[in-house]
Amino acid sequence: MNFKTCLIVDDSRIIRKVARRIVEGFGYEVDEAADGAEALSYCTGVMPDMILVDWNMPVMDGLTFLRRLRALPEGGRPKVLFCTIETRPERIAEALAAGADDYVMKPFDGEILQSKLTEVGAIAA
Amino acid sequence: MTPEDFDKLQGLLATRAGYRLTRDRMNLAEHRLGPIARREGYANVEALLANLWAHPVASLGWAVIESLLNPETWFRRDRAPFDVLEQELLPALAKARPGGRVSLWSAGCSTGQEAWSIAMAAKAAGAAAEIVATDLSQRAIDKARAGLYTGFEIQRGLNARAMLRWFEPDEENWRVRPELAEIVRFGRANLLDEPTDEMRFDVIFCRNVLTHMEPSRRARLLDGLERRLVDDGCLFLGLDEGLEGETVAFRPVSGRQGLYVKTPAAVRRAA
Repeated sequence: MNFKTCLIVDDSRIIRKVARRIVEGFGYEVDEAADGAEALSYCTGVMPDMILVDWNMPVMDGLTFLRRLRALPEGGRPKVLFCTIETRPERIAEALAAGADDYVMKPFDGEILQSKLTEVGAIAA
Repeated sequence: MTPEDFDKLQGLLATRAGYRLTRDRMNLAEHRLGPIARREGYANVEALLANLWAHPVASLGWAVIESLLNPETWFRRDRAPFDVLEQELLPALAKARPGGRVSLWSAGCSTGQEAWSIAMAAKAAGAAAEIVATDLSQRAIDKARAGLYTGFEIQRGLNARAMLRWFEPDEENWRVRPELAEIVRFGRANLLDEPTDEMRFDVIFCRNVLTHMEPSRRARLLDGLERRLVDDGCLFLGLDEGLEGETVAFRPVSGRQGLYVKTPAAVRRAA
């Protein structure tokens, strides 16, 4: 069995736990990171298939992480979804321009995540 | 509510709306009728229903019916039908019709997500679409026409790029942009009513409506759709809604689940 892998990057342990449960339900193997720097060092070791990343985090924020990720060898491969409370259109556009595949506004639920992941081709329709 | 109340509700829904209220929905019915009972000043749901059976007032009856319909919908539901519409049907129809004018109907549109999804497809395909969207529920139509959706609703089925392209923030919510709003007309309509005008459509979406119909009322609904559809027009049903042996008016398009084409009149007469 060839499991797909997902890295969940959020400074809230509760959000990570909620997202993990949903994503595991789609058959993903999940790892967690608490900020962008931790996530980046994870990705230099092993590149996940999908990354859910928060915007505002200590040490390194999600946008900085995303830009550095996309500059890594193989860093263009993971599907990256921003998951954040930021809802201003110009910020959403900024995240997409920086290389996010899609953008999820918190709060979200399993149905929203499923529809977003289907749209980017991370899970089957 | 008593089992007798529920029997009468089933009868009300079946005769007026052709809607099959299954027995497993008794708790749901109780839950949905609570707010109506409070709004109308009744002590509880039993009192509301007792009054409705004794004095069948149309407005109260419709409020009860509306609350029991299944309003569930989301943007680009099942995705494939909207891709087929955008990439295959609309380009062909726009080329074939004078002025590229294509008319479409979202029949049973609930809170409007389907109609807006059709409108997005039309804009993307560059078709001059005129979209009519109807539902039995006035409340659903009011919401659809407002084009205002919560963060949960807007994200269900729409990716962020489409959301930014076709909607703008309105406080905590998202409102449809005028360029989509101006090509969709919403109105309340009962799909069981006989067509009283000559309006015809190139494409009809009537998805996940038949599923909830009383079997005995399906023929009447299908007849109405047939009369509203131009010859060779296209009908989208829900992915699991088959018409096996039910009518010769529509034939399925192979490889396009849920898509039917209206059989030309001459062929139907021969059959």
